[in-house]
Amino acid sequence: MTDQPLVEMRHIEKSYGRVHALRDVNLSIRRGEIVGLLGDNGAGKSTLIKVLSGAVPYTSGEIRIKGKPVKMTSTNDAIAAGIETIYQDSALVPQLSIARNLFLGRELTKGSLGRMDLDRMNQVAADLLKRVGISKNIPPTTPIGSLSGGERQAVAIARAMYFDSDLIVLDEPTNNLGVAETQGVLRFVREARDTGHSCIFIAHNIHHVFQVVDRMVVMRRGTVVADDLSPKTSSIQDVEDVITGDHITV
Amino acid sequence: MSTPSTVSAAYPAQQGALKRFVAKPEFGPLILLLTMLVVFTSINPAFLSLNNIGNALTFTVELGLIALAMTLLMTAGEFDLSVGSVFGFSPVVMWALFNAGLMPLPAAFVVAMVLAVGIGLFSGLFVTRLGIPSFLVTLGMLLVVRGAALWLTSGFPQRTWDAGDQWIATLLVGDFYIGGLRIYMSLIWFIVLAIILHLLLTSTRFGNWIQATGGNPGAARNRGVPIHRVKVILFMLSAAMAAFAGIISSIRVSAANPNSGAGYELEVIAMVVIGGTVLTGGRGTIIGTVLGVLILRLMRNGIVLIGVPGLAYNIFIGAIILGMMALHAALERRHNAGT
Repeated sequence: MTDQPLVEMRHIEKSYGRVHALRDVNLSIRRGEIVGLLGDNGAGKSTLIKVLSGAVPYTSGEIRIKGKPVKMTSTNDAIAAGIETIYQDSALVPQLSIARNLFLGRELTKGSLGRMDLDRMNQVAADLLKRVGISKNIPPTTPIGSLSGGERQAVAIARAMYFDSDLIVLDEPTNNLGVAETQGVLRFVREARDTGHSCIFIAHNIHHVFQVVDRMVVMRRGTVVADDLSPKTSSIQDVEDVITGDHITV
Repeated sequence: MSTPSTVSAAYPAQQGALKRFVAKPEFGPLILLLTMLVVFTSINPAFLSLNNIGNALTFTVELGLIALAMTLLMTAGEFDLSVGSVFGFSPVVMWALFNAGLMPLPAAFVVAMVLAVGIGLFSGLFVTRLGIPSFLVTLGMLLVVRGAALWLTSGFPQRTWDAGDQWIATLLVGDFYIGGLRIYMSLIWFIVLAIILHLLLTSTRFGNWIQATGGNPGAARNRGVPIHRVKVILFMLSAAMAAFAGIISSIRVSAANPNSGAGYELEVIAMVVIGGTVLTGGRGTIIGTVLGVLILRLMRNGIVLIGVPGLAYNIFIGAIILGMMALHAALERRHNAGT
């Protein structure tokens, strides 16, 4: 029972008209592991995570969560199934406060008129900020727009942890971040794993991926070409060769 | 390390109250309004007379009602150019039905409102399902609705003088005196709706969704916010408010003119942006809009009272819009710089 994967994608196909974006993709994620999803531009990484997060429908195949087949027809299906996807540019609303972002779509309310319990939302947000160590005296009422890129990623990851998502999908979380902020984000990812969450980590920077993942999956031309590369046994060069396809040249 | 369940611990101290107040979008319009009051009153003390205030408020609220709904729509990142046409169309429909003896006035009122909501629904679906910018959709709607009003009436105003003994007319535009101040029911409607929509925008779940829909639609959608439904509802609200305002206006002036409301859409949008709501969405304020409504209306009233030719009104309005936009842009930059 413990060996049962958290998420299994089987024979997933996705085509946009004549373009085959995903071909027979099989991928499984175990509990508490961080999987790096790698591939060159256009390899199908984005499409795959969009399928997994319910943002785009897949043409055929099956997705199982904890062994049960689920239909992913909307982002709400994915959220309900415990999958939280943090996109690069569309994770947070800059004009809204940290607390309002944290609870966006799942606002705490009191009474029957949909009135938000802002006091409690702010309090939970403040505690959460403190717990994940990005408080730096930032009040939970601060608009996201005035936070740094790293702080924003941290808020998005903290949100996924707070709502106990089983799987957190991070799309380029270290993009455009400085060295210190990148380390901060990587620390969060490890913390998420240590508290029992699984992660899919997508990044162009293989160095970042190597620092944090347990396993790497490589996609090329819409299909998975390697799914068990370990940062312990493979070198960065090896992985790059798989990504570009140089390893099969004879 | 604190536990998430403690509700007592205060979160870190906020920045100074004054600084926060200055950074608010309502700050600029509030200062402008106060300046106008001081300047106009010092030149012509009649400006602050009960009579003048009462009159100015009456005319103010009809456009103001539309501006309230437009604030929410613009906060969600869309706007509606057809409100002026709906303002003319709905009373025409109501009075045509009533005058033809087809139904009692309250029923005609309901039919006109439902038609208006249908217009909003149509615009909303066009914008969200087909992905066409609201500028184009509501521009088309402006022409369709205005054309319908003119065609239905052959261009003639509908008589409304049978309204006097109708309870619904009293409910909408009846008047009463508080001291020497004559108050129209429409002002009460405006105040009540302003409070309700302010609370809706700032304190409810739906309000959070409105702001998120305009601020970052992708993020809102990823969080499961039904951004299309939010927009459609707001298009319906905006059309309903335009119809409501048009009907109130028709009873007050005793005529339902198919041409009335022409150009109101731009004046309403001006009121909203002067108040500090952002044209591109994400940030909106009902309090600011109320200030914007008062600014434009009292400006129109005040410049006449101090002897500036009424025809110069638009120069002032244009200058105010430009000045306010510069101020809001400066505040926005400071805000984004985190100062």
